[in-house]
Amino acid sequence: MSAALALARREFASFFRAGVGWAVLTLFLLLAGAAFAIGTLRPGAPASLRDFFALGHWLMLFIAPAVSMRSLAEETRSGTIEPLMTAPVSDWSIVLGKYLGGAAFLAVLLAPTALYAAVLLSIGGTDAAPMLAGYLGLYLLGALYLAAGTLCSALASSQAAAFLGALFLLLFLRFAAVQGGAAAPAPFDRVLYALAPELRLADFSKGVIDSAHIVFFLAVSGWLLTLAVVALASRRWR
Amino acid sequence: MLVADRLTRSFSGVAAVRDASFEIPRGQIVGFLGPNGAGKTTTMRMLSGFLPPSSGRATIAGFDTVDDSFHARRCVGYLTEANPLYPEMRVRSYLAHRATLYAVPRRERSHSVDRALERCRLADVRRKRIGALSKGYRQRVGLAAAILHKPPVLILDEPTSGLDPAQIAETRALLRELAGEHTVLLSTHILPEVERTCDRVIVIARGRIRADDTPADLLERSHPSPPYIVELRPASGDDPRAEPLDIFRAIRGVASAQVERATPDGWRRLLISAAPDAPDLREAFAHAARDHGFLVRELRRESASLEGLFSRLIERAYEGDAAPEEPSP
Repeated sequence: MSAALALARREFASFFRAGVGWAVLTLFLLLAGAAFAIGTLRPGAPASLRDFFALGHWLMLFIAPAVSMRSLAEETRSGTIEPLMTAPVSDWSIVLGKYLGGAAFLAVLLAPTALYAAVLLSIGGTDAAPMLAGYLGLYLLGALYLAAGTLCSALASSQAAAFLGALFLLLFLRFAAVQGGAAAPAPFDRVLYALAPELRLADFSKGVIDSAHIVFFLAVSGWLLTLAVVALASRRWR
Repeated sequence: MLVADRLTRSFSGVAAVRDASFEIPRGQIVGFLGPNGAGKTTTMRMLSGFLPPSSGRATIAGFDTVDDSFHARRCVGYLTEANPLYPEMRVRSYLAHRATLYAVPRRERSHSVDRALERCRLADVRRKRIGALSKGYRQRVGLAAAILHKPPVLILDEPTSGLDPAQIAETRALLRELAGEHTVLLSTHILPEVERTCDRVIVIARGRIRADDTPADLLERSHPSPPYIVELRPASGDDPRAEPLDIFRAIRGVASAQVERATPDGWRRLLISAAPDAPDLREAFAHAARDHGFLVRELRRESASLEGLFSRLIERAYEGDAAPEEPSP
């Protein structure tokens, strides 16, 4: 476990050392700020972050793959995977360390947007609870997308391939679940809808914290990370 | 300390290493020689636990590299051929990071990092970014990372590749120093390196082990009687009283003699091979030359070199299995 934490620490620090982290951070805050200023901060709009969270889903679709693309693909490309995998560290620790480092960076990305919540609260007429629930939902969603990105990074041998792979995987799943759910006949539409993280996020931003949603996000993330471990272990046999 | 038992690894049906078996006792420093693509790196990757063997097994300090990979990996310090590092990290924090991965206890971590920095003469660059270091310094960082956790076994894949002669000499001195505490397997192209540093040489070519012995014994076996070189000309005038080749051929113990080179000003360079059991013939040659009125300006015995042996072993490897590799199951 201490190895996983050490790897997470290194991964987290590398975002700031490598420049990519700053680029992602800037881009995210720019887009999130524009969305907040245009969508929410206008006369007559409800003092809620619901629109921001709805858009946050789309931002995460691009941001999470960008955060996770380096994790394992860059180690493969530069060859540092070899000293890493010959250290007495389990494949699970490697994947978990990479993932936790990315998740910590994701928290840093989201933190400045708390300013928007502060603005709305100072204007008044609103409740902090749905905002907190919304943040929890958005973070869980980001963590799930990050797990998918980590899986793609474990499979790919370049950052670009990892990014595009994760982006297309997430877009495909999103459309399969949401559009597929709209098209499917009665019993199946509910199954498909249940698989759409976006719809679960909507509940959070209404202030509903459903434990089923939390279990869903954690279980799917865990499952994706397990696949990433398998992908990493399979390198030894290729 | 390190045992390879019929290690075999194939990539998409083609065997990169076949039936490699050897045993390295504690404290020995062994050179692993072979041309590029011979299977050195693949063998080292199997020993370090990076690649599992297709068949056969390896143990490090008694731990199987596959079944007990975790313990085996802890006992190995591994320097990979390309020595990849994180360019954005600083030397000291990189080593501290590696020490954590190797589960060096927190209290000893700082001390073992300092010790590795000092041994590899990195103290003056410890705050520098790895990406800003020269190749020689980066190599030392890789070596420092390999010895951090005091592993009983060091596996070093071409520790001197890409270094200049001064750095090579420095690394060699460091390796000899390390050999006292670690069992070392190092691969290299540089033959004098092996002769000077290693207790033992394992030669691999085309995935198979071709020789395994001490450098001295290998030379002895390959070159039981190195040839003599004699360069001479008639001492007076240009009328030799006898043909020099005949004179030397008549000496007991000489198997053959030939003129290697003749210069216009009368000097002739002879290459003389002795029978395998002949004693040192240099004195006999000197007497014979003087008695027949020849002036000698060079008389020496060719020293055996690993280089010659090495190229012969490799040639043989290629002649021996020129047939296409059969795919392994």
